[in-house]
Amino acid sequence: MPTAKAGQSMDEVKIVPTGGCYDCGGRCLHKVHVRDGVAIRVETDDAEEPQLRSCARGRAYRQQVYSPDRLRFPLKRTGPRGSGQFERVSWEEALDTVASELLRIKETYGPKSILVVTLSGSAGSLHTGPMTVCWLLSSFGGYTPFWGDASAEGAIFAARATYGTLTNGNTRDDLVNSRLILLWGVNPATSIFSTNTRYYLLKAREAGARVVVIDPRYSDTAATFADRWIPAKPGTDTAVMAAMAYVMITENLHDQRFLDKYTLGFEKFKDYVMGIEDGVAKTPTWAEAKSGVPADTIVWLARQYATNKPAALIPGYAPGRTAYGEQYHRMAAVLASMTGNVGIHGGGAACFERPLVGPMVPPPFSKLFEGGTYEARLKQLDVPRRLRSRPHAMCLWDCILKGTVGGYPIDLKMAYIAFANPLNQFPNINKGVEALKKLEFIVVHEQFMTATARFADIVLPVTTVWERNDFSRPWTGGSYFLYMNKVIEPLLDVRSDRDICRDLASRLGIQDPFWDLPEEDAVRWVTESMEDVMPEVVDYERFKRDGVYKIKRPGPVIAFEKQIEDPDNNPFPTLSGKIEIYSQLVADLNNPEIPPIPKHLDPWEGAEDPLSQKYPLQLLTHHHKTRAHSCFDNNLLLNDLEPQSLWISTQDAQSRGIRNGDKVRVFNDRGETIIQAKVTERIIPGVVSLGEGAWYQPDKKGRDRAGSPNVLTRDHYSPAGAFPFNTSLVQVGKYVSDTSSLD
Amino acid sequence: MQMGFYFDQTRCTGCFTCTVACKDWHDIPPGPASWRRVQTIERDKYPTPFVAFLATSCYHCAQPACMSACPVNAISKRGQDGIVVVDRELCLGRDHCQLCSEACPYDAPQFGAEENGRMQMCNLCMERWPEGKKPVCVAGCPTRALDAGPINEIRAKYGEVQEAVGFAYGENLVLSVIFKPKLEVQPGKKKSIEGI
Repeated sequence: MPTAKAGQSMDEVKIVPTGGCYDCGGRCLHKVHVRDGVAIRVETDDAEEPQLRSCARGRAYRQQVYSPDRLRFPLKRTGPRGSGQFERVSWEEALDTVASELLRIKETYGPKSILVVTLSGSAGSLHTGPMTVCWLLSSFGGYTPFWGDASAEGAIFAARATYGTLTNGNTRDDLVNSRLILLWGVNPATSIFSTNTRYYLLKAREAGARVVVIDPRYSDTAATFADRWIPAKPGTDTAVMAAMAYVMITENLHDQRFLDKYTLGFEKFKDYVMGIEDGVAKTPTWAEAKSGVPADTIVWLARQYATNKPAALIPGYAPGRTAYGEQYHRMAAVLASMTGNVGIHGGGAACFERPLVGPMVPPPFSKLFEGGTYEARLKQLDVPRRLRSRPHAMCLWDCILKGTVGGYPIDLKMAYIAFANPLNQFPNINKGVEALKKLEFIVVHEQFMTATARFADIVLPVTTVWERNDFSRPWTGGSYFLYMNKVIEPLLDVRSDRDICRDLASRLGIQDPFWDLPEEDAVRWVTESMEDVMPEVVDYERFKRDGVYKIKRPGPVIAFEKQIEDPDNNPFPTLSGKIEIYSQLVADLNNPEIPPIPKHLDPWEGAEDPLSQKYPLQLLTHHHKTRAHSCFDNNLLLNDLEPQSLWISTQDAQSRGIRNGDKVRVFNDRGETIIQAKVTERIIPGVVSLGEGAWYQPDKKGRDRAGSPNVLTRDHYSPAGAFPFNTSLVQVGKYVSDTSSLD
Repeated sequence: MQMGFYFDQTRCTGCFTCTVACKDWHDIPPGPASWRRVQTIERDKYPTPFVAFLATSCYHCAQPACMSACPVNAISKRGQDGIVVVDRELCLGRDHCQLCSEACPYDAPQFGAEENGRMQMCNLCMERWPEGKKPVCVAGCPTRALDAGPINEIRAKYGEVQEAVGFAYGENLVLSVIFKPKLEVQPGKKKSIEGI
């Protein structure tokens, strides 16, 4: 890696401000020191607080850029697909091949047979799927994307149904106003979702806030910030919340005035909770049997949330990435109303969590997500309707394998993959392997030889964010914009995703002035298309020089503040104008698995599933502290800091004769992985956990050796669209090596 | 004047940002040498486990054990600020000697993977102070758990505590560090936040 010389004066060094890395809910500032065109070291934000300090992953980004296993030139497959056997080819040959295959497949099967998989692999607004590959292939005649937001489809559904908008979050600096903070399935110490959430949690604690963490694991957040940890089994959070509602109702702790004034449907919800509707009262004892949370703890939690005001229930997305996960998000929002915490300082609407300032989705697009007619809103919630033209991402592999004969909308023949690592990150890797082998052609943009890239026919090496210009805005809770200055020239023979698409456009006979724009002009064009940016930033050249523009605000931004203060003139953006605990739109979906009021539904592959006789442990897929999804798994500065392991409780380990550090098999009918065990007190018995994002490494027997959890996860989606990565049953056993050389 | 560190253990989330920021800044290649390291201490039992993190580097002791142990006087203390530094040219190398490492209770002397790696360790980012900058670990910590400066100023600002979970004080070394320790809950005793 290029070196800095000790004692070298800082004078010959240029400092380039840039920011952002990969798929991350933070957007941090990097001040990269460059000498002779080489990045030699990094600093982070050192302006006035709150600073946008980068985490360990960001500080290891230089190691990513100059990594010895960076892909350096286009590759063409020589061996069987997935074998990893490639030869170097020229850009001309690579692009000619991609173009001719696009043309052939479109000609033979129609453009819809082209699958595009792009996700949020790289920070930026210009170098994204929609502005590169999707734009290109739209002009080409179309393609088939997948449907669904892997992170939070359940929360998106819940936000639309309950509030009529995704803008439900308070900015994170509001946490200092809370008396009580419930961090429900959220781990800000590890998963950066808003760069300064940790910082504001600390400030909140200094101001006297108490913090409760609800999580199957005693995460680093629980360890650092929690006054109390409440372990609960995955997929049962809705039951715990329903029982909290029961306690509040029976002890008359709920805010009836708030419910009467601002909500619709509480009486129907009350009937459900009290057992009038279905004969089952959602008591703490009932919830204890499902969740593993002791009844008296649930009573305690309900009383704490109801009587400490203001209180912020921060619902992480992980508990919603379960079977019926959308119900958890709906239920959290109802509790926020029952306690009168919506729209006030220190409170929270407890839903999708995007605040009004600096939303990831800029204003012109935001309008698509809010408001509209009854028909338009119903369409958004109607999952089967959304899936008439494209598959749910969780079922992508099944769609490729079964096609229209299997009831899917399309027979896919080709995959164009960029900004994504779907083989590693979508469920049921073994099925993914079969699906990818079936396609006629696969092209992948990548920086490294990931599991997905290994299955490509053509791999195109792309730039990192330091090798191009772009603009970025943080996903939630940030009120700033980043100008991601290009730091160095593209290394070796790599090209940007945009330049690749431009070069393909000409081969495909597409004339589009968008591709002719020089990169910096294109960045400016994208920036100016977001109507909230330039009026705020004003001096674009200064913004570029600084690399960051921080919006000055007098204080926290509170979602629904006006709706609470002045409801007559500021209805909620729902059809009724109220917070819809009961949603007529959802009722009109006519799906008993998506009830119009939030309900606990027993998950498939949960503790009560008969399958648990065979596979008695629930698998959690937590976020790993040295990765951002699958990014950074190959980073040599990071990957030995906390090696991949299976978290397993002492109780479950002992009954299996497993000691800390032993290699274990984790398996179910979908696959098997072999990895070392971390025997720990930090996880609820009955649940094991594998950090997601570990790079899938099959051995010759087809067993994964990296602890990659998606060999075990089920390719199925929740009825309202949530992605149930945290709903799988597995068994664990001590791994006994057979002495053959295959091991 | 003696420079030193402050570490607020109650804020540390064990995220390793300090470890990596330091290695990047000082261009330490991936490998066994880390000038700043983070330990995880896990105790007690489910459902009330106790976890603490301890970030250590070098405590720039007033009486460094490494300096006394070095047979070739490769380690010295700077007069102007008490920062303990090693002259790698004089160091005999890992394959010939590791007396400094054996003498230090805190693992401060580090060796890389290269053949006969010369000793390397935290130098309190001595080249940054003239630029008005604090060490990269301090400037980088996402929870602002670290600070550094003249040790008498650190003491005035943060107190005199020289204890932390996972840390044992070395009597004779006179360490230049102040802690805010994480308080350990007695095993078996539940944490309670009744009656807020």
